[in-house]
Amino acid sequence: MLRIYQRLWQVNWAEQWQYRANLLMYLLYWLVSPIVYLAVWTTVANSQGSVKGFTANDFATYYMILLIVDQLNSEITIHLLAYKIQDGTLSGELLKPIHPILTNTLVNNLAFKALTLMAMLPVWEILFLLFRPDFSSVTPQSVLLAVPAIVLGFGINFLFGAAITCVAFWTTRVYALSEFYYALLILFAGQFVPLDLMPPAIQTIAQYLPFQLLRYFPIQLILGKLPPEVIALDFALGVFWLAVAVVIFRFVWRRGVKRFSAVGA
Amino acid sequence: MIDAIVIENLSKTYQVPEREGGFKAAVRGFFRRRYKDVHAVQRVNFRIESGEIVGFLGPNGAGKTTTLKMLSGLLHPTGGRARVLDFTPWDRKREFLQAITLVMGQRNRLSWDIPAADSFLLNQAIYRLPDAAYKATLKELDELLELGPIMRKPVRNLSLGERMKCELAAGLLHRPRVLFLDEPTIGLDITAQARIRTFLQEYNRRTGATILLTSHYMADVTALCERIIMIHEGKLKYDGGINELTHRIAPFKLICVTLQDGADCDLSPYGTLAPGENGCKTLLQVPAGEVAAVTARILADLPVHDLTIEDPPIEHVIERAFNE
Repeated sequence: MLRIYQRLWQVNWAEQWQYRANLLMYLLYWLVSPIVYLAVWTTVANSQGSVKGFTANDFATYYMILLIVDQLNSEITIHLLAYKIQDGTLSGELLKPIHPILTNTLVNNLAFKALTLMAMLPVWEILFLLFRPDFSSVTPQSVLLAVPAIVLGFGINFLFGAAITCVAFWTTRVYALSEFYYALLILFAGQFVPLDLMPPAIQTIAQYLPFQLLRYFPIQLILGKLPPEVIALDFALGVFWLAVAVVIFRFVWRRGVKRFSAVGA
Repeated sequence: MIDAIVIENLSKTYQVPEREGGFKAAVRGFFRRRYKDVHAVQRVNFRIESGEIVGFLGPNGAGKTTTLKMLSGLLHPTGGRARVLDFTPWDRKREFLQAITLVMGQRNRLSWDIPAADSFLLNQAIYRLPDAAYKATLKELDELLELGPIMRKPVRNLSLGERMKCELAAGLLHRPRVLFLDEPTIGLDITAQARIRTFLQEYNRRTGATILLTSHYMADVTALCERIIMIHEGKLKYDGGINELTHRIAPFKLICVTLQDGADCDLSPYGTLAPGENGCKTLLQVPAGEVAAVTARILADLPVHDLTIEDPPIEHVIERAFNE
């Protein structure tokens, strides 16, 4: 099994390099919103001294970490798979004795991530020089603790993304659903603003939804801002949401493949 | 001999959305969709023994591809049952997928941007082939298909024929015991077609694999298959030997007569005049039982320069069988 992933990596990694222009577009799209938020909020904080206790440096560190976390646990499954379901080319993968999503699509996501991360680093460095954020609260322990949090976040996001993509088995309007998911994510994940600045009601809801586990939780973990009991709760929530995502994905996938094969791949 | 493929009353009905053109119809269709049942395959039965090569024929839309997709596990039937190597295909068990292949002429199993050799390596991992076995098979495929330099070029840069060779190789690396081939020679030139035919024969001989193939090229079918299965509008039309079909559908021979220069005689009394082909002056269609007598009479009566006796072309036989 390890060999399958190894070979898939080689193939996908080689393929990624073929799409340089495509990659650049994705990267721009990806970087624009966090950088805009970063610029806007630091300017606001600078002019007022702070926003609800958030200083300009708080914003800078938050969004700088967000840029990395965002890259690490985002997923692009819908762009890799929806068209294959719609035009029937998925059949080629269904003939092979492996699960197409848990192998090929997963590795494709990872290869894309590795490449965009490489391309993003220089941008990150430029931002670092421009904003000069103070990362003194970040410790090796806090970074180490964030690793499982990010992996968990990616797992949840990947499976939800895959489940949403599988809706393409029933409808061609699957992109709208994906947009809706992303809108929820922006609102409840702490992508738009750190959750602390949201109204208390939204903060309470967001705490239990899976989205904050993708952004806010790992960011705050890295910045060393969470008390131990919140860290424990969030990890438990992460495991819970991962289990939910697995169940939903398996259900949608099985039904979807059956439907795919009913309508004539 | 055991049966590699058994299907009983296999049926597939598609529900296809139906709607007239125009805006009004589009709006109506948005609220209430109407569906039409399309019976792609209707209660088809056949058995194929292990090691057989069988031609699967039918006009466009006859249900050939649908049947192949059901047999390879991509489609759920709406009725009947099928066993392939004792598996129910649409359960898509790992052991089943490991033992079969479906090669479709226009579909690519290969990654477009990388050389086929890389896709082969990936297949080695996916099908869990030990290094030694993989190398041996690849060498064999290389010999038979002359893959050499073409498998090191990105697939997008290959010609149609080269790509088809690579597709076939990719589909056979795991040494499947049952091959479903949908138009394996489509778009290829005569030489490449012949090469693939020879290859399939050789593969069948070496491995004892069962092959079910569709093709629009009768040369493929006559070269490879002793038995053909014909379907038309989803129903089984014929299952048996090619020769038997010829005897049943077209129990006549063609006598090709070329008269000596200048001679101009009416041949119609000897048989039915058929459109001449192959450069011969006159083509006569004569009942199979009377060929000897008619030939003798022609030779005795007329100034014959050349005379040959042929079977009717298989295309005609098949066409007549479908129109029957």
